[in-house]
Amino acid sequence: MKRVEVKLNLEAVAPLLDVIKDAADDLRPILAVTAPVPDHDEEFAAGWTRELLEGQNSDIGVFLGLFGSDFFLTGVVPLDPTNSEAILRACSAVRLRLRAKHLEPLGDEALESNEVPHDDMPETQRKAFAAYVFLATLQELIVQHLDPTVME
Amino acid sequence: MIVAETRTRQKPAHATATQQQLADLWHVVVLNDPVNLMSYVVMVFKKVFGFDEMTARKHMLEVHEEGRSVVWSGVREQAEAYVFTLQQWHLTAVIEADEAA
Repeated sequence: MKRVEVKLNLEAVAPLLDVIKDAADDLRPILAVTAPVPDHDEEFAAGWTRELLEGQNSDIGVFLGLFGSDFFLTGVVPLDPTNSEAILRACSAVRLRLRAKHLEPLGDEALESNEVPHDDMPETQRKAFAAYVFLATLQELIVQHLDPTVME
Repeated sequence: MIVAETRTRQKPAHATATQQQLADLWHVVVLNDPVNLMSYVVMVFKKVFGFDEMTARKHMLEVHEEGRSVVWSGVREQAEAYVFTLQQWHLTAVIEADEAA
């Protein structure tokens, strides 16, 4: 993958960063997915979880680093082979948290089809949904650049 | 996408533990989740298992439509390593002992 500079609509994206950062903060002590650890002793399970958490927090740190002062000047986020996989994983983690925290009441079919009652949604939920869609779009962009053969 | 639950088997505890210790065939099972994009799941499968596009897509569709897919089978240690990697990518992955073992 070559370096790609993606120009985002600052007006549209900047307001979403609060709800994204909030979800990221929630994920500091917990994993986005609580899948079972293979059956071993407590020490194994603790180590497994700790390593996953360290990786998750590292990825989220890379992702949030996209939205520093440069971003607010230019609206540009740079994607390259050194950060793209971390950003992909971070987007997945944050989307999982957004769904768990704000979007579950909307139902998964509605989330998948984008048929949600935008006008009736509380502002936080509306922003969470917009962030959920934005992060999906970012993921699709990265996947296409990393592996153009992946078909949707 | 609808979250699927792992299967549980009701067996006497000591029999279950003995069978699992003796099982030399373990499956890596990916379960459905309502969030991760299909293209993302396909990319992860290709990256982690070296699948070609068609195989990765087949497993992704199995997860999506049937709730689960066995993506790899083999020794326990390798199965655990794959599950760890899939969990790093935030896929819901578990290991299961082969029932025939």
